[in-house]
Amino acid sequence: MGVAVLLKQVPDTTAKISISGGRVDEASITKWSISPYDEYALENAIKLKESGFGDVVAITCGPSRSAKCLTEAAAVGADRLIHIISESPLDSIQVQSLLSAAVKESGCDVVMCGKQAADTNSGSTGPGLAASLGFSCVGGATEVSMDGGVASATRLGPSGMEEVEVGVPCVFTFDKGDSELRRPNVRGIMMAKKKPIDIFAPDDLGVDVSNSMVSIKSHSSPPEKQPGQKFVGSDSIPEVVSKLREEANVI
Amino acid sequence: MAYEALDFFDIDSLLTEEERMVRDMVRDWVEERVLPNIEDACRDGVFPDEWRAEIGEMGILGAPLEGYGCPGLSYIAYGLICQELERGDSGVRSFASVQGSLAMYPIWDFGSEEQKEKYLPGMAKGDLVGCFGLTEPDYGSNPGDMITRAEDKGDHFLLNGAKMWITNGTIADLAVVWAKLDGEIRGFIVEKDDEGFSAPEMKGKHSLKASVTSELVFQDCKIPKDRILPDVKGLRGPFSCLNNARYGISWGAVGAAQSCFNSAREYALSRIQFGHPIASFQLVQNKLSWMLREITKGQLLAYHIGKKKDDGSWIPEQISLAKMNNVDMALEIARMSRDIHGANGILDEYPVMRHMANLESVKTYEGTHDIHNLILGRHITGIQSFTREP
Repeated sequence: MGVAVLLKQVPDTTAKISISGGRVDEASITKWSISPYDEYALENAIKLKESGFGDVVAITCGPSRSAKCLTEAAAVGADRLIHIISESPLDSIQVQSLLSAAVKESGCDVVMCGKQAADTNSGSTGPGLAASLGFSCVGGATEVSMDGGVASATRLGPSGMEEVEVGVPCVFTFDKGDSELRRPNVRGIMMAKKKPIDIFAPDDLGVDVSNSMVSIKSHSSPPEKQPGQKFVGSDSIPEVVSKLREEANVI
Repeated sequence: MAYEALDFFDIDSLLTEEERMVRDMVRDWVEERVLPNIEDACRDGVFPDEWRAEIGEMGILGAPLEGYGCPGLSYIAYGLICQELERGDSGVRSFASVQGSLAMYPIWDFGSEEQKEKYLPGMAKGDLVGCFGLTEPDYGSNPGDMITRAEDKGDHFLLNGAKMWITNGTIADLAVVWAKLDGEIRGFIVEKDDEGFSAPEMKGKHSLKASVTSELVFQDCKIPKDRILPDVKGLRGPFSCLNNARYGISWGAVGAAQSCFNSAREYALSRIQFGHPIASFQLVQNKLSWMLREITKGQLLAYHIGKKKDDGSWIPEQISLAKMNNVDMALEIARMSRDIHGANGILDEYPVMRHMANLESVKTYEGTHDIHNLILGRHITGIQSFTREP
């Protein structure tokens, strides 16, 4: 029993992203953070732990700098920390294989993660991991509670909130909910500093990451937003109507 | 845009991971809780009680003290906490300085075992608020001539006198009060409900408006015998507290200056005059580079004296220099930043005028700018110039 929480370190949502040589220039990113949706997963996992449901195992897969998100998770209550170190970029399938091996190693039968990462937005980790582990998967949860071997999840359904019951083992991906990640305190930070991090290389987990089926050709910045247009006076009404009809296609 | 604290000489790389995490925790709290509410707090003249509770929950009060539920962080971490709080507002940093350095510290260093057990755990959590009574209406820079007296009445002490300019006074659960007992300065713990004790708030401040400032009045105030701090006599008691608080201020001032610098840079880049951003004009660049230069020097001073606090090799005169220099530079930067903001600089949309008004107090409290110069003058010449007496 226990909850594995998957944390991805991403550029902070307020960080300035620049492109150099057709690639995101990681060296110029000054602030890295836990991906916000993963924070909802972490908060829920800690709440489950507080309600008596086993330990929280925080797992990250990424370069050495991403150890910071494990220490941050420990500062708010994660019990065990696992870092799969890969300095080179990985594709989604490789990440899922590595995380799946780490979850097996942890012995956890409940897995929580964000519904998508704030940088790549691919949304494939949770479902892919569930497929690879043979676990059930509930996507877009905002709250998960456990009663015996059955989990109840609240998620946004087609016409309102939906309550789902599912047996473990299961993967839950999290959407933005009401509860934000708690703030750490000094005591938590001092305990976190002493907490060891279990480090695995892909080879240690028996995962071959030498061949990728995906290659990223290039990155580019989104086009600059066009400035707004200003219309003054009733004379401009025909022009506004025609622009709304022909350019914006909204009427 | 995310706040990027000016760190031209990469002080960040000298910090431990724990120090960085504590700094980021406080920085995030200030960002989320202080900055959106500080102008309202100033307008209403209150220190919001939820800030007390949240600062307590973070566990940063009495940062460098160990045991009795205190955090036991490094002095560098304590400095960083002050820097981040004061980047928000000097009043918020004042709350933490007074609680930690002026109220918890004397109990921790000079108190009896029973006093430590009774007060420190609650104070570290912010459940109990403390204040520090040294300054009197007629004795500011010259506390040695204080009037407040304690008399030994056999089974209790009787306190008479008044203290002034006491941060946290009205909201405090306990006051560490310095008074003369048989002509000698001693520390006493006065609790808010003690007979003959009152702490009316001082109103009408143009500075530190989000901080509570009070008088402490003792009229035949009766306190039990076990409330005297047993392990210190004379001015060494209050001065050792002030050394810690002044140390924290040397970092806090850097935080206020960083805030003013950031605001000035952003404003200068976006404000167009004569067809160009004012940041492109030489006079403005000269001001910004002066700010960067002075903040960088102040950071190095604060960091170095912090390392000396951590290894115990400091002398009080070094703290005087750091406090005096850094507050002086921060005030000058606040004024210069206001200048760069033009008329907009007087609005509460920008933090600069608030920092500027706050720093006028910070320049004066915890040893005025001039008194620190005299401390250094005595150090240089061996001749004290505080008094005409030999």
